[in-house]
Amino acid sequence: MGLFAPWFLAGLAGLAFPFYLHLLKRQTTKPKPVSSLMLFESRTQSSTRHRRLRYFLLLSLRLLVLLLLILAFANPFVDRNAAGLSSSRLVLLVVDNSFSMRAGTRLAEAKEAAMSVLAGKSAAHAQVAAFGSQFRLMTQAIEDQSALRAAVQAIQPGDGHGNFGELARAVRAMSESVHTPIELHLFSDMQRGDLAATFSDMALPANVKLETHAVVSKAQPNWTVESVDAPGQVWGQAAKPVHVQAVIAGYGTPAAQRTVSLVVNGKTTATKTVAVPANGRATVDFPALEVPYGFSRCEVRIDAADAFEADDLRRFAVERSDPQKALLIHNYGDNRSPLYVGAALSAAAQSAFVLESINVNEAADRQPSNYAFVVLSDLNTLPPLLVNSLTGYVRSGGSLLIAAGTSAGGRSQIPIFGAHIVETRDYSRVPGRYMAVGSSDSSYPAVAQAGGWQGVKFFYALDVDPGEARVIVRLGDQTPLFLEKRIGEGRVVLFTSGLDNLTNDFPLQPAFVPFIEQTARYLGGSERQGGARTVDAYLELRNAREQGQGVEVTDPEGKRPLTLGEAASAQSFQLTEAGYYQIRLANGRQDEIGVNPDPKESNLDVIPDDVLALWRGNGGQTVVGASAPGPAMPHKTAQTLWWYCMLLVLAFAFAESALASRYLGTQREE
Amino acid sequence: MQQRFLDPSILAGISGLDLVAKTVVDGFVAGLHRSPDFGFSQEFAEYRAYTPGDDLRHIDWNVFARSERMYLKRYRGETNSPLTVLLDASNSMQFGSHGVNKMEYARYLAASLFYLALHGQRDAAGLITFDDEIRNYIRPSTRQGQLQRLLAGLEQAEARARTDFAKPMRYFQELVKRRGMVLIVSDFWEPPESIIRTIEPLRFHGNEVVLFHVLDPEDVRPKLNGPSILVDMETEMRLEVTPDYTKKEYREKIGAHLADLRDRTQAAGMGYCLLMTDRPLDDALREYLTLRGGRK
Repeated sequence: MGLFAPWFLAGLAGLAFPFYLHLLKRQTTKPKPVSSLMLFESRTQSSTRHRRLRYFLLLSLRLLVLLLLILAFANPFVDRNAAGLSSSRLVLLVVDNSFSMRAGTRLAEAKEAAMSVLAGKSAAHAQVAAFGSQFRLMTQAIEDQSALRAAVQAIQPGDGHGNFGELARAVRAMSESVHTPIELHLFSDMQRGDLAATFSDMALPANVKLETHAVVSKAQPNWTVESVDAPGQVWGQAAKPVHVQAVIAGYGTPAAQRTVSLVVNGKTTATKTVAVPANGRATVDFPALEVPYGFSRCEVRIDAADAFEADDLRRFAVERSDPQKALLIHNYGDNRSPLYVGAALSAAAQSAFVLESINVNEAADRQPSNYAFVVLSDLNTLPPLLVNSLTGYVRSGGSLLIAAGTSAGGRSQIPIFGAHIVETRDYSRVPGRYMAVGSSDSSYPAVAQAGGWQGVKFFYALDVDPGEARVIVRLGDQTPLFLEKRIGEGRVVLFTSGLDNLTNDFPLQPAFVPFIEQTARYLGGSERQGGARTVDAYLELRNAREQGQGVEVTDPEGKRPLTLGEAASAQSFQLTEAGYYQIRLANGRQDEIGVNPDPKESNLDVIPDDVLALWRGNGGQTVVGASAPGPAMPHKTAQTLWWYCMLLVLAFAFAESALASRYLGTQREE
Repeated sequence: MQQRFLDPSILAGISGLDLVAKTVVDGFVAGLHRSPDFGFSQEFAEYRAYTPGDDLRHIDWNVFARSERMYLKRYRGETNSPLTVLLDASNSMQFGSHGVNKMEYARYLAASLFYLALHGQRDAAGLITFDDEIRNYIRPSTRQGQLQRLLAGLEQAEARARTDFAKPMRYFQELVKRRGMVLIVSDFWEPPESIIRTIEPLRFHGNEVVLFHVLDPEDVRPKLNGPSILVDMETEMRLEVTPDYTKKEYREKIGAHLADLRDRTQAAGMGYCLLMTDRPLDDALREYLTLRGGRK
């Protein structure tokens, strides 16, 4: 005997309420008027005793109703021998449809085995479920054999990664609502990679009896394209050659030569032969990926030499487009900023931006909206026309990087950004002659990719009042160094030092190139592009600024998996199938990604029999060491009693109503 | 047979205090087996020599014609006694455990007394209603329409506030100037010595003072089905009391209180009449007539 939800016993505190009603509440009600209290004296001691005796039966009934109600919620159960309850058990047939079940005829064999089990349980109450990365019920608990067979046949191969921990969690949740013994039949290839991280995650409740039906008994050799390293975007016609690197892996395989092909839009563009060591990995490098403008669907394939053909390729998508233009406005005599920023942008492997540098006198006739972002470097004076133009550009969604430099020290306020300049900090005059970075926000891409700017020496910076701006990097004396502020629809990033090598030695450090590249990508809005994902990964559809704008997702089969409501509000989307997804993001950009199954599904090694036996026989017992199977326990099942509690509650509630109405009648006579 | 018309529960069904008063008095008088003209006025008493200042209307001109001396002819009825009823209109008078509460009972009583005094005895009658202040005053008079004025005064008397004899007493003495009968109708929920000390001055002025002590049966024998919170109707004070207390100690206390009040009243030369609201009104009327007879 026990309780499924003993924490509901905390509700016993509610039993004080009837006592309050009976012993305290009544004493303050129904006062009786008299002409005068002149000759009366207070007598209270006997009153409480009197009332308790008078309403004892009603009080008892009310306490019983509450007690039984609390007990029903606490869900009491008694352990009963499972054999005695076999007639009322639920037969749950779970067919594994994870990606590895595509190998050979595994899924067909699993379904056939499920059908034969179903035929042997003709009069049973049964339910069919599919299990890949998620547990999905195909039917209700029914006895209709034809419907159950149809449900088994309807199970389609999936691309997800199986996890027996997830299966156990779903069955545990199910057993809390079913309350009858469950006979769980699992039809799977019993892949070792499907085991949960700890064996306790796979523990099943006491009323669940597991029977495993393995469709394969030993590991099968399998070669696969484990990973592909390729850029998601290529910029311009004269871009640098793009390398594609693929890793070919073999599981339980002998040493062999494999032919690897690079396929672009269905056409094989390169083929290589690679020697894969026994049960090992080999890397293949394709030096030049040629793709046309727009999105290209690319694959790396190996020649099929095993029973699992579905994992012989790995998809990725590449977009070729013209690089975006960026504008750098600098002082008339400043030649260093354009030099360093331009060099950093062009040095980046995937240079997505072409920098156009002009001095401030030439900026009047430029339209900022023609550029992906604008950099203001070391400006002493800005023409009001340019300030107005840039402010409008930012408010309407543009991005601006301001490097304060030394010239801004004469001003009281940073233009456009709006921060008040407190003072200038010339660290070359203090002991040590420079200041290093004190703290930085590693979640910011431009900082994270640049290694937190460690080792950079800053000789000069402006101390500004951040106000509402987000401070990303501070110097050792807490002077704000790198700040971001949203103005209207756009954003402005302020660097309180300069982009030359006079105010700091940042341009001479290796971290400067990733800093400029990531900042440019961030300001240009192209940091989210990518070529490949894994099945079951989540794709971010919109950021906080893009609420209410519609997105569009087209899955590999050409269908739109999002409803209109989801398209208008969903923050992310789970990629459930392997293939190419086309996405129109909330900011209007088109994207295409290749989605591949989890590489762990390619390892067809099976779970050892002793581990399976341990899982089958263990039931609800948590195993500390998986290597030490415990003794077979007599299988008992818990039968819940909440139903009987509720029947008693109903009966006592009727009795309480009848008795209470009688007392109420008496009170009216008073 | 006529006594049933004096039952307060039957009187409660009669609308209009004038009809109630007539019913009570006629029923009462018929029950005495005496003439409806029972009275003391219009009977010759004596001759008295005229002295300056006497009313010339009362000179017996026949005697003057015969003897050329002026004598006044005096009648017994000339010794009329103005009746003033002091009616307590405090909140406690609203208490009633059956069909008639104390205030209604006091109204019937006062109306009957007025009817008897004005129509039967040709006495002047007046009314003072009070609680902790004087609420209404109708000067004693025998003028036509006086009964209606008095009955209207009774109708308007609404129970409110609390009883306080001490405060309005000094006004009583100013208002009750002529010696006569003063009937005080109240439930007298105050210590007896305080009541007597306050009322005694009226007696010193030569008035016949009678205390009509109106009580509800439950004032004397409260009925409680269980421990109860009791609320004082005048002070709103609350007290929890048990049935055991009301059955024993309270009855002893109320008995002692009534006896004390009666003894002190009589010791002070005043009349006392305890009236329970479930009893007929004839005791009160008999008390009045007894007093009236004593003042002949």
